[in-house]
Amino acid sequence: MLDPYQLTVHTLTLRQLGTASQLAEVTGQELADVEAGLEKAAADGAVVAAKDKYMISPAGRTLLDEVYPTAFGTFRSSPQIGEAMDAFETGVNKQVLALTTDWQTKEVGGERVPNDHGDADYDAAIVDKLARVHEKTARVLAPLSAEDPLVDRFLDRIGTALTRAEGGETDYVSGVRVDSVHTVWFQLHEHLLRLTGRERPE
Amino acid sequence: MSAVLNSGVGYRWLVLPTGDEPSRELVGGKAWSLWRMGSLGLRVPPAFVVTTEACAAYFAGGGLPEGLVEELAAGIRGLEAALNRTFGSGPRPLLVSVRSGAAVSMPGMMDTILDLGITDSVEEALAAETGDPAFAAEVHRRFAGFYGRLVLGCTEDLEDLPDTAAVRAAVNADTGSSVPADPWEQLHSAVAAVFASSRSRRAVAYRKHYGIPDDLGTAVTVQAMVFGNLDASSGTGVLFSRSPVTGEREPYGEYLEQGQGEDVVSGRVTPSPLSALASRSPQVHAELLRAAECLDREGRDAQDVEFTVQRGELFLLQSRPAKRTARAAVRIAVALVDEGSVPPSEAVRRVTAEQVRTLLRPVLASVDGAAVLATGTAASPGVASGIAVATPEEATAGTILVRRATSPDDVHGMIAAAAVVTEQGGATSHAAVVSRALDTPCVVGCGAGTVDALVGQLITVDAGSGTVYAGELPTTAASESGDDDLRRLCEWAEAEAPVRVVDPADLADPARGEGVSASGAGVPRETGAGATVEVPGPVFDADSVPPEELGEDLPTIPPGTRTVRGALFATSEGVKAALEAGVEVIVAGNRLPVLLAAIEHGDGARGVDRRGGDGARGVDRRGGDGARGVDRRGGDGARGVDRRGGDGGRGVDHRHDGGGR
Repeated sequence: MLDPYQLTVHTLTLRQLGTASQLAEVTGQELADVEAGLEKAAADGAVVAAKDKYMISPAGRTLLDEVYPTAFGTFRSSPQIGEAMDAFETGVNKQVLALTTDWQTKEVGGERVPNDHGDADYDAAIVDKLARVHEKTARVLAPLSAEDPLVDRFLDRIGTALTRAEGGETDYVSGVRVDSVHTVWFQLHEHLLRLTGRERPE
Repeated sequence: MSAVLNSGVGYRWLVLPTGDEPSRELVGGKAWSLWRMGSLGLRVPPAFVVTTEACAAYFAGGGLPEGLVEELAAGIRGLEAALNRTFGSGPRPLLVSVRSGAAVSMPGMMDTILDLGITDSVEEALAAETGDPAFAAEVHRRFAGFYGRLVLGCTEDLEDLPDTAAVRAAVNADTGSSVPADPWEQLHSAVAAVFASSRSRRAVAYRKHYGIPDDLGTAVTVQAMVFGNLDASSGTGVLFSRSPVTGEREPYGEYLEQGQGEDVVSGRVTPSPLSALASRSPQVHAELLRAAECLDREGRDAQDVEFTVQRGELFLLQSRPAKRTARAAVRIAVALVDEGSVPPSEAVRRVTAEQVRTLLRPVLASVDGAAVLATGTAASPGVASGIAVATPEEATAGTILVRRATSPDDVHGMIAAAAVVTEQGGATSHAAVVSRALDTPCVVGCGAGTVDALVGQLITVDAGSGTVYAGELPTTAASESGDDDLRRLCEWAEAEAPVRVVDPADLADPARGEGVSASGAGVPRETGAGATVEVPGPVFDADSVPPEELGEDLPTIPPGTRTVRGALFATSEGVKAALEAGVEVIVAGNRLPVLLAAIEHGDGARGVDRRGGDGARGVDRRGGDGARGVDRRGGDGARGVDRRGGDGGRGVDHRHDGGGR
């Protein structure tokens, strides 16, 4: 696995231009550890600071590319994890993206138009399906979460977003500036690709 | 029908949705709207309700309360008598739907089970009665799926399995339980499953998060299924009280003679225009139009009415506010004011900011002679021009971000860019989803080599057609002042919005923000058109903050700011941020979407019921009468709002999918 320093740099591939506390929220690391990691990374040239936000540098990406094969060796050699990833990509990931698209657009008079969120039943049905896919994802990714506790943290954060969406905070389905279902799913997906050394399949 | 059902008064656990108005706390929102439709003289399939008190007794005693089994039998006898059918046997079998209905509904509650009561012998009887064995088999297959998923908790995908046996086998393999062959056991287990679902993990988590009491429970509505495929005088269809495309008051619908909802859903057959019903049964057609008129008036909104004709008798299955295009939403809202159905203050709450943005979105004026550089899938509509850049770090408001595919560390660049183009991915790709969330024009899947081909050039992205052109092409857009409906909505919205919205064209020097005094006192200026605007300072311009300082965050509006400007404040989240910062004036080119977003946010912050009463839908999804005073958002008082509740009757909901579509 990555050490805390490497993990901090890695987090910037999941959320570029984040503050220390935003990065700590992604991984659950102690804020002080993240701050110490960022300070060292800035000195090493692995990250660049813009006011209170941090950006990974080309040197930081090289650092990660070098440590991943060793740090994530288990994930890249296990056939069980390979199968779980195949199931994730072809199953739940496609479903989440399709449901997110259904959330954002809908068919009216034969035309695909932006969802105006005027139909509570339509919205509720989508959130309900997302919740079922979320539950299924935990089962699909069980071989990965057994090796990496961060996977469960992503799933918990998606659950929190779902609860808020169910409560009428519609931003929490696909909003970009909040930890919406899609925002966290996107982070989870990128994390899994990096764990397993795969390319984004689209 | 009513007389038969009402003869059963004196139930302890049941209520019939006929006669006097039932308590919503006791029967739930859906059953209340059944009652409402009946009270308007509209014919709905007969039903009975198991009350929330029975639910409470279920949890207190750990099972169906004493006497409920007998009352369920009596309730079913009433449905049998009303329709001259029998539950669990032929030759004319009775099937029912079972659904939840709480005064305060919540996610995690059980969906509707349709076609309950079917067994092998009932399937045979239904095949004989309808003369359509494939239909009877499909009903059975669907029921096994509903029951397996909703009562037994099967999580496998059952929809694509070919027949009942396959569904039963999959359910059994996944859950270790079987779909009962006894219709009464089906009914008892379904009622218990509805009760239990009110304490499902998700429902409990939801209530905990929003501070809703845990003991409200749910009612259960049991309703007879009606059949549109019995003979040539039967059929099923849908009617819109106004055109869903233009909003004009022209009823529009589809009808499937001798067909059932399953036929339409499965795509086995294509329905005909509603005129097919008019020529076959002019009286039923006239009755239907009268019903739609009544529901439109009662609901004070365009309605989508699902109906079934069973042996020449019209049954209304569901009526709810109809889906509509942005154009139709605007037309309907203004028409409702002209018809005296809603006041202007409500009309502006019937049109969303998003709908108006759609109407005002620029389109290319002409593409004559423009070179096409790339084509792909249109993923998020709009048109934008700018210099193509290859990395998110280079992206600014004047650039187009072109990537092979996008990953999370591109998001800050997608926020900054005027448009997004990718080589890979389809309409559901991450780039598409994020762009739609940002309302940024986006074309995806343009193919390998697109990045190299475009970067450095001035390009125009037409995300309506999915085309990238060379150069900057002229655009044209509808204007608020050039459209009568939009102009009237804009006037009404100004009266309702908690903020002033000023067109930058009305400022003396829009580019420099003159017409604004730094001291805070407004300085009136004459514009070219002679309009005088007074905009108080200090002014904050969101476009002045460099993208790399923002990342994915909104800019911080300095305390004391009285006027804001910049592209961000054309978006709903920008409007929300401005209002939360106490801003008095927003400068924006298209004023109506900003006004509507401000009204929406203002209503949310003040706890105003935006839907003006949504009958059962409000109650069912978000609470309503039963939810009054319940803070559904938790501790943050300003956000603790039920925007859907209310007790009017906009859209009398009566979902009964099986008989309809």
